Amino acid sequence: MTVLHVERLGGLPGVGNPRSRLRSCGEISLSDLSQADRAAVEELFRNPPRAAPVLRDAFRYRISRDGASGAETVEVPETAVPTPVAACVKDTFI
Amino acid sequence: MICTCSIVPTKVLRRFARDKRLSAKARRAFADAIKYEKQWRKLRAVHTELSAASSRLERGAPLAAPEIAVFNCKQGTTLPGIAVRAPGNDATSKRAFAETAAVAAFYAQLFGRNSVDDAGKTLMSSVHFSVRYNNAFWNGTQMVYGDGDGDIFVDFTKASDVIGHELTHGVTQFSAQLEYSDEPGGLNESVSDVFGSMFRQWRRGETVDKADWLIGKEIIGRGAKARGFECLRDMSNPAAKHCLAPQPTHFSEYRSGMDPHESSGIPNLAFYNAAVAIGGYSWQKAGKIWYEALTGFGPQPNMKMKAFAQKTRKVAKLLFPRDASASTAVDRAWKAVGL
Repeated sequence: MTVLHVERLGGLPGVGNPRSRLRSCGEISLSDLSQADRAAVEELFRNPPRAAPVLRDAFRYRISRDGASGAETVEVPETAVPTPVAACVKDTFI
Repeated sequence: MICTCSIVPTKVLRRFARDKRLSAKARRAFADAIKYEKQWRKLRAVHTELSAASSRLERGAPLAAPEIAVFNCKQGTTLPGIAVRAPGNDATSKRAFAETAAVAAFYAQLFGRNSVDDAGKTLMSSVHFSVRYNNAFWNGTQMVYGDGDGDIFVDFTKASDVIGHELTHGVTQFSAQLEYSDEPGGLNESVSDVFGSMFRQWRRGETVDKADWLIGKEIIGRGAKARGFECLRDMSNPAAKHCLAPQPTHFSEYRSGMDPHESSGIPNLAFYNAAVAIGGYSWQKAGKIWYEALTGFGPQPNMKMKAFAQKTRKVAKLLFPRDASASTAVDRAWKAVGL
């Protein structure tokens, strides 16, 4: 069963920066996603979109999974992430 | 606009007026020039203002304050959401209307700017975006505000500097057009913090020594406060422990690829240094210098921090030719952060 490891980065609070006191991480199993969301995730890995050039202070998502050819990671804008995947993260203090 | 007209300095005119090698008629002419210089300067200022107004009229740009539009996402993520005609009891919508109008007034009154594009663009905001959303952002067209999770952050419209910060991303988009990575990205974030903080100080009538220079103080939630956090960032001490997002304080700490919200600490501290050394209200001199460096040179998408620092040094001398302390303050402010 493939599990997605998700980290939310940036935004106005600069979440996940090396000095930041906030981290935002979570996990979600692909099997918990609808077929449409699984397809959207697959597309993120196949063809990771770039953020709109004028977007400022928006979050980015770093998504990792263990695929057939080893671990894969993509970093994509918030707008491209299916809602249940974006919602699996939890902000914590470090 | 910077006035770059070159005129003969008064002390030179005075020397000529006393120079006995010149004819009496010539000396009288120089003496008259000194006498009328003050009036001439006033006339020149009026002329500059009229030219700017006339240029706006020629462009067909409206001179009235920009319209303010607020939308309610009702915890959804579809933008812009439902138009708020009358905010009623919704404090968030009320704040979005009031503070956005105040930012527009701040830019108009202090910098002669008509909205983010200087052409009267309607200022759109969407509030109640998503669920317990810990962020606010500018999407290239409008501002978007989350309600916060209630623990780390509260409603993002509660901080006037956050509203000023997001709108300034619009100003940058329509002026220097700074990129959003590496050094230009850090500058982009910094000018949003600079004008966001300046706006908050202006709203509160604070001088530089009374201001706290904190960014996002009013959006810090109970859980974060309980852990000793007071703000997102502190322009006076970017590395301070009370910041949720501490930053570097010297250019030697800058690394390529750094997130803009981290590297912005360096120019943030430079602005703080300059404003405090100059004294008074931050928008009177330091703010005008930073504004001109941001908006007075056309698009500079790849501008590095050193280039921006140089622009502020140059602008300080042009805007305040009779106040060497302003340009000295700006120069020392940047040197203190390694630029």
